[in-house]
Amino acid sequence: MNSIKLKRQSWNIGIILIALFLGSWQVSRLPVFGSYEARTFLLGILPIALLSMGQAIIIIGGGINLAIGAESVLINCLAARFMVDKSFTVAVALTIFFLLISVLVGALTGLIISKSKIADIIVTLATSFILIGLAMYIQPSPGGGMNLTLAHLISGKDSAFLPPLITLILPLIVIWLPLYRSRTGIAMFAIGSNKDSAFLSGVNVDRTRIKLYAIGGLFAGISGIALTAITLSGSPFASISNTATLNSVAGAVLGGVALSGGVGGLTGPALAALILYFIPTILLNYGIDPAYSQIITGALTIFVVLVGGLIRNRGKKK
Amino acid sequence: MSTIKTFVGTRLTKSMLSLWAILIVLFVITGLVDHYFFTVPSIGVTFQLAVPLGLLAAGQTICMLTGGIDLSIAMIATGAAFIVSIKSPSGLGMALLYAFLFCVLIGTINGLAVGLLGMNPLIMTLGMNAVLIGVFTVGITTFLKGSSTMPDIIIKLSTATIIDPLSWPLVLWLLIGSAVLFLLTKSGLGRLIYAVGDNATAARLAGVRVWKVQLAAYILCSLFGGLAGLMIGGQSGAVSMSLADSLVLPSVAAVVIGGTSIMGGIGGYTGSIMGTLILTVLSYLLATLNSSEAVKQMIYGSIVLALAWTYSKLTEKS
Repeated sequence: MNSIKLKRQSWNIGIILIALFLGSWQVSRLPVFGSYEARTFLLGILPIALLSMGQAIIIIGGGINLAIGAESVLINCLAARFMVDKSFTVAVALTIFFLLISVLVGALTGLIISKSKIADIIVTLATSFILIGLAMYIQPSPGGGMNLTLAHLISGKDSAFLPPLITLILPLIVIWLPLYRSRTGIAMFAIGSNKDSAFLSGVNVDRTRIKLYAIGGLFAGISGIALTAITLSGSPFASISNTATLNSVAGAVLGGVALSGGVGGLTGPALAALILYFIPTILLNYGIDPAYSQIITGALTIFVVLVGGLIRNRGKKK
Repeated sequence: MSTIKTFVGTRLTKSMLSLWAILIVLFVITGLVDHYFFTVPSIGVTFQLAVPLGLLAAGQTICMLTGGIDLSIAMIATGAAFIVSIKSPSGLGMALLYAFLFCVLIGTINGLAVGLLGMNPLIMTLGMNAVLIGVFTVGITTFLKGSSTMPDIIIKLSTATIIDPLSWPLVLWLLIGSAVLFLLTKSGLGRLIYAVGDNATAARLAGVRVWKVQLAAYILCSLFGGLAGLMIGGQSGAVSMSLADSLVLPSVAAVVIGGTSIMGGIGGYTGSIMGTLILTVLSYLLATLNSSEAVKQMIYGSIVLALAWTYSKLTEKS
C-alpha cells in the first residue's frame, strides 16, 4: 500500500518539478514577477486545468469525452449571451443555472452511452456536433459579456491573483475530495479498472457512469464560466472546442491518468495544465510564429501520451 | 463451425436488412419533401456526392477493423488536395506523387506510433490532426503558397457524368470499392486485419506481425483519405483549409452505422457503403430544409446518434 502511494505521489512530484523548472525559466525571462504576472499565469491555465480535471474523472471511470470542449464552449456562449448588462445577483443566479445545465448535459451524455451501449467515442463525437451547433445558435458570432463584479470575483482584477487560484482549487476540494472518498469514487475506480468484475461485485455501472459524466460536465461548465469571466465574451467555434478537448486529454494523461482507466487523480491534471501552458508560452517567447502553437500542442500531446504510456508499461512489466 | 457460420450469416443479413430499411425510409421522406429528388440527374448527383465520404469510410473501415480509428483523415484529405493544387503547375504526375508521398508519410507515422509504440490510436490521430492543421495554416502563407485551384483532369474525374446517373466518380468508387471488398474478404492481408482486430494477442501468438498489419491499415486509410481529398477538391473546384472538416464525424458514423465495431474484428465495407448512402441522403434532406448551419449541425448530430442507437438495438435482439 505504501509503495503504491509513493508511486502515485512520485508522478505528481515529477510533474511539480517539471512545472517548477519551466515556470522559473519563464519567470527568469520576465523583467519583473509580481502578483500581476502570477494572475496572468493562473488565467492562462484556469480553463484548461478545469477541463483536464473533468476529463480525468471520466477517463478514470473507463470512458472518454470528446465533447468536453464543446460542453465548455456551450456554457461559455450561454453565459456570454445572457449575462450581458445583468446585475450581480441575477448573474450569480444565472451562473448556478448554467452549471446545472452543464451537469444535465453531462448526465444526458452518460445516460445515452449507458442505454445505447454505443462506444463513448462515437456518442461524444456526435454530441460534440450537437453542442457546438447549439452554441452557434445561441451566440452566432463572438460577443456578449458578463457582469464585471462577478467576473472579478471569478478571475480577479489587475494583480489580484487569489480569485483565479480559488476558482482553480475550490472545485478540487468541494467536488473531488468528497467524490474520491465516497462510494461513487470507489465505484469509479472499479468500473475503470474492469467494468465486468465491478458489475459482478454489485457496482451499478450505468448509474456510476452517468454520475461521472455529470461531474465531468460540471467541470466543463465551470471551465466555460471561467472562460467567460476571463475573455468577457463567448466564441462559438468548433476549433476552440477541438483544441480544448485535445488539451484536456493531454492534461489528464500528463497528470498521471491512464487512458485504459482505473488509475489517477485530479491533482495531477491540475498541475499538468501548468506544463501544457508553459511549453508553448516559452517557445513563443523565443520568437516562434504563433501559428505554430497548434503544431506544438498536437506534438506535445502525442509526446506526453507516448512517454506516459511507455513509463507505465515499463512499470507494469517490472 | 457450421453453426457459427450460419449464426454470423443470419446476423449479417438481418443487420443489412435494417440498413436497407433505414435507407429506403430516408429516401422516401426526402422524395416527399423535395419532389425533384426522385429525378435521374438528382440521384446521379447524390451518388456523386456520396463518393468522397465512401472513400473516407473505406479507410476508416480498414482502420476500425484492426481496432483503431483515424481522426486525422480529414486533414490528410485536405493536405493531399492542397499539395496537388499547388504542385500542379509543375506537372500532374509530380503533383500526384507528392500527395501520395504525403499520405504514405502520415499513414506511416500514425501506423508506427500505434503499432510499434503502442500509442492510443484516438490520441495519436487527434494529435496528428492538430499538427497537420498547424502545418498547413503556416504553410499556406509560406512554403505552400500558390495556386488553390485543382487540375482540370481531377475536376473532370470528380464531377463529369458519363450517362445519367452514372458518373466518373461513381465508376471510380465501384472499382475502388470492389478492390476494398476483395482486400477485406479474400486477401491474406484482409484476414490478418480481422484477426488483429478480433484479438491482437492471439494474432501475435499465432505468428502475425501485428504492427505490420496496423502499419498497412493506417497507410491504406491515409491513402483513401488523400484520394477522397482530391475528389472533394475536384468537386468544389478549389481547396481551402476547411475542405474536409465536416467529414470527420460522417466518416466514423458511416462505418459505425454500417455495423463495424469500433473495437475491431467485426464488420465490413458493405455496411459502410450503406452507411455512406444513408448519411448522404440525410445531408441532402437537411440541405432542403431552410435552416442555419447551427441548426443543421444539431439535427445531423442527433440523427447520427439516433441511427447508431437504432442500429445497435436492431442487431442486438437478433
